[in-house]
Amino acid sequence: MNAALVLWSWWVRTSAKWPVLQTLAPFVPVVALWWGVAAWGPFPPAFFPSPMDVVRAFGALVYKGILPEYLGDSVARLAAGAAVGIALGIPLGLLIGLSRRAYTALWPILLFFQAIGDIAWLPILIIWFGFGMTTMTIIIVYTVLFPVVLNTVLGVRSVRIELYRAAQSLGATPSRVLTEVVIPGALPNIITGLRNGLGYGWRALIAAEMIVGTSGIGFMMFDARRAGSVVEIVLGMIVLGILWYIVDAWVLAPIERATGRRWGLVTQ
Amino acid sequence: MKSLSLKSLSKTYFDLYAGSQHTALHDISLDVPAGEFVSIVGPSGCGKSTILNMVAGFIPQSSGEILVGGEPVKGPGADRGVVFQSFALFPWKTVLENVGFGPKMRGIAKAERDAIAREYLDLVGLAHAADRYPNELSGGMQQRVGVVRALANKPDILLMDEPFASVDAQTRMTLQEELTRIWEERRPTVIFITHDVPEAVFLANRVVVLSKGHILEQVEIPLARPRVWDQLVEDDDFKELSNKVLALVRAA
Repeated sequence: MNAALVLWSWWVRTSAKWPVLQTLAPFVPVVALWWGVAAWGPFPPAFFPSPMDVVRAFGALVYKGILPEYLGDSVARLAAGAAVGIALGIPLGLLIGLSRRAYTALWPILLFFQAIGDIAWLPILIIWFGFGMTTMTIIIVYTVLFPVVLNTVLGVRSVRIELYRAAQSLGATPSRVLTEVVIPGALPNIITGLRNGLGYGWRALIAAEMIVGTSGIGFMMFDARRAGSVVEIVLGMIVLGILWYIVDAWVLAPIERATGRRWGLVTQ
Repeated sequence: MKSLSLKSLSKTYFDLYAGSQHTALHDISLDVPAGEFVSIVGPSGCGKSTILNMVAGFIPQSSGEILVGGEPVKGPGADRGVVFQSFALFPWKTVLENVGFGPKMRGIAKAERDAIAREYLDLVGLAHAADRYPNELSGGMQQRVGVVRALANKPDILLMDEPFASVDAQTRMTLQEELTRIWEERRPTVIFITHDVPEAVFLANRVVVLSKGHILEQVEIPLARPRVWDQLVEDDDFKELSNKVLALVRAA
């Protein structure tokens, strides 16, 4: 009993010092189970590789430079597409959120095009732009745009009318109301929109790379299928998961903490 | 400080869906000289907040005139400071930045507007909370910030819409005493909306009783200042005036 308490207390102290342990701990049983099934041996290794096989494949692909290059390609595509999507989405969302007329004119159109999933555009985009960068960029911009616009509109509309009135009666001009009230008030929602948009964009990118790509993580996985290399497919899946976790935990979550939570606009 | 004059002010709301209309205010005429403290009391739905929203320029009147220092009101402006029941502090700005917001809009440099904001925070004993965010403060502290944020912009008229209705009873009395003290020091023109009769009498030079969209009666409050609750709760004149206003409100 006492020994268990000592162990537990050691874990609480150590994991508080190294938060990464808290992230990794839940994966220990998952990897153990995977390893167990692989070692138990009902499947041939080429069909169901063990964790060690994947680690070896990781080493080999990094050594050959394929994995870093493909990963760089995927991330760069996402960053470029997301930047364009955000640059279009936030102003559009502010406009629709603030202007009754813009809302009436654009909202039904937005909902219609949002319903046409990103991948559903691929057939026509391949005919129009062929296999390549243009098609992929359009897919990502399209995917990122809608969550950003819809959440920005929601954010603008969630700003209480008293805050507009307070700013106006303190002498704020319409442009100052925009920068001092509307944008900060909508910011927690805008960040939620970015978070969703980047998440959807990342998935859309992998799908697009599988179909029209000539490099990137999605291409690597689909190419591995052609070569019958299960180990590289599994490696690709793991890389996707880890990369998204890093983006979310190191980039998006800190921004969210620094804004909405600090101001009491977002509850824990 | 400027005077406020309402001339035959009316407000009618149209419900286009139901095809009906509702007269919220009818033929309101009221003169408030510069530096006077006027409370407007009345039961819920009597139109008292509608008057304030029109004077602030948040909603247009249906007919009649609103004159501030002789000039007609056209929309919201920094000459009329507003204190809201819901405080309406900017959650993304610190207390200091909230109070310095009006000066910032006037283009005053950061160092100077911070100094102004600190001076006003001192007035309500909140200098220590300057760097905190509104959600970290109690309701009473938030409304102190709301009051000095309006004052720091040096408005000609201070418009207060049930500002102390959502804080607890003890804090409310302290806030009322602070407000009378500040008023005596700076003598702004104040329009104070409330449904709390003792509060209206305690604060004002004159209480306007509103009923179903028109002015029922105006009661002068000649009580001596400074006013503090410990003295006034026992004061016969205060009790008499409160009872008189209360009877009017109940008849309204």
